[in-house]
Amino acid sequence: MPTVPTNAVPAEVTAIDTQARGPLLLLLGSGLLWLVVGGVLALIAAIQLHSPQFLADCAYLTPGRAQALRETAFVYGWLANAGLGLALWILGRLGGEPLRGLNWAVAGTLFWNLGIAAGLVGIATGDMTSFTLLQLPRYVLPLLVFAYACIALPGVLAWSGRRADMMYASQWYAVAALFLFPWLLMASQAVLLWWPVRGVVQPIAAGWHVQSMWTLWLAPLALAVLHYVLPKVSGRTLPAYEWASLSFWTLLFAGAWTGGRHLVGGPVPAWIPTMAVVAGSLLLFHYLVLVINCRGIMGAEGTGAGFLRFGFVAYVLFGGLDFLASFRSLAEGSQFTLVEPALREIGLYGAISMMFFGGIYYAVPRLTNRVWASGAMIGGHRVLVIAGIVGAVLALAIAGNSQGSALLDPKVSFAEMANQMRVSLLAHTAAQAVLLAANLLLLVNFLRSACCCGTSTEAPPALFAVESAKEGSAS
Amino acid sequence: MKNGPLLFTGLFLAFLISFAGLVLGAHGQLGRLVPYHDDTEGGSFPQRVSGLAARGQAVYADLGCAACHTQQVRRPGFGSDKDRGWGERQSVARDYIHQARPQLGASRLGPDLANLGSRQKSDEALYALLHGGSATHPAYKFLFETRTIAGEPSPKAVKVAGAARGTETVPTERARALVAYLLSLSTAYDYPEAKPLAPIAKAPEAKK
Repeated sequence: MPTVPTNAVPAEVTAIDTQARGPLLLLLGSGLLWLVVGGVLALIAAIQLHSPQFLADCAYLTPGRAQALRETAFVYGWLANAGLGLALWILGRLGGEPLRGLNWAVAGTLFWNLGIAAGLVGIATGDMTSFTLLQLPRYVLPLLVFAYACIALPGVLAWSGRRADMMYASQWYAVAALFLFPWLLMASQAVLLWWPVRGVVQPIAAGWHVQSMWTLWLAPLALAVLHYVLPKVSGRTLPAYEWASLSFWTLLFAGAWTGGRHLVGGPVPAWIPTMAVVAGSLLLFHYLVLVINCRGIMGAEGTGAGFLRFGFVAYVLFGGLDFLASFRSLAEGSQFTLVEPALREIGLYGAISMMFFGGIYYAVPRLTNRVWASGAMIGGHRVLVIAGIVGAVLALAIAGNSQGSALLDPKVSFAEMANQMRVSLLAHTAAQAVLLAANLLLLVNFLRSACCCGTSTEAPPALFAVESAKEGSAS
Repeated sequence: MKNGPLLFTGLFLAFLISFAGLVLGAHGQLGRLVPYHDDTEGGSFPQRVSGLAARGQAVYADLGCAACHTQQVRRPGFGSDKDRGWGERQSVARDYIHQARPQLGASRLGPDLANLGSRQKSDEALYALLHGGSATHPAYKFLFETRTIAGEPSPKAVKVAGAARGTETVPTERARALVAYLLSLSTAYDYPEAKPLAPIAKAPEAKK
């Protein structure tokens, strides 16, 4: 019987954690700060959906700009910082040596966050581009590529200088995300912003960018976290590990080809949306293997496991729904409606963010060598964030469904359509407020834990005791 | 998986193949589209727009108008675009070849604007909407200057609801560019590729 590798690294705090504490907490903390900033912007954008006159006279926050600001703060601020922090931590632990070049990571984090802040100011003052997930002005993008490379350097060094030949699934995913993001950001900005391609090739390239951000960067980061933490909290190995690499390559090779999924019925050659359906059906294999391998998370216990479980279910759900939405018959009604943001919310918040939350809850006590400052805040965050995500997705989906039916009926005016959606959009605003409250709780808890306000682990707390026992059985 | 260089090569190929296939492939197919010359009409289509309208596209993009408006008409029978009067035909790639930044958009909280210039001939209603807003549209007062009339009123002043006596509302350069751009949007010309395919006629039955 082949030996099945597990992420069998001693789970107690090691020199690797201690030495990486400052830089990684800086990354995670920056991410959480952007998450709260993004939450405020999301709330503004949500209010503007049902009350268009809200802040209408403020040129910096037109509905289009508020949405772009929110999306940028969320993806480039929160997801990037947190994802990189977790990826470096995982690669350091699996590399078996303390991370090298951490000064580069610190400098990179500072430049990255400066770049994002400058980019947000640029968006608010009129330098926004109109490409989804690439609204940042082009003048900050070279800085972001440079900063990303600096942050990624310790991760790449840990991977290339790893002690063991064998690479774990979480290493493939983390390394993929580290390498692929700068390439795709360089390629996208080249063909969209510096030397723009002509006419509708721009929306096609923008579609490729959006799907690549998802399948070549964010999904690999989240799956690295899932594959690393899962065996530790469930105490089990991956049941079909030999299939995991095929699942990995399917995601990478087929994922970006779904770029035409946003252009169904658009002024582009028919093969582009058709290719999205073909690639989407190939991706089903990736989701299937993932379900087989990671289903153990459903029965796992621990603080992080609850978040990972939710994230895992949302990830598979998103995959299925995203595939369905690429079919012409369904796109006819759902295209251009709030069903699309509902789907994005499932993907970016429900799947990726929740897996990152799970990773953060697992990693921070090991980095700080202290348990979280407040268990009640963790519980509060979990309840609020789940309620917020479910509420936001349902509200947007219901509003989008009614918008879709209204758009198909030429007799319904836009004012009537807005009236029909009003209650759902109010509920969506409430959900965004709940999400903001949830993430404030997490930020406060994180700051208290990181600033040495937590309980000392001299008497091992329950969290560590339970999880260490499981990790022992997994290794 | 043990081989690091193989992983790296695989990653690069995954990135390169999708980029080359989707982006460069589409560029190869559409990058050299030229305007369609029509002898009957005595001109080439799409026509180039004025400098002011071209600048207006940048205003449209930076204000984020594409967050609520699309500029792509779907084919008759796919959605209700034609029935809503947004266009008689579907948008095609050639419609966008002169646009520096095509604004296809992905959300319809407001109407499609691909053909706005064909159904909206005067700028008055657009200025009124931009200044005063509506139940579904924000009022962008920052695109206008309200000033006391000193001497002759400005020829650029526009009529807006609720203006105080002795004052005038003048659109800024950005507002004028935006409106010029919106009025320039037209997909009225019928390209051969935009016509729906004619059903294949049945071959006459062979004489027995």
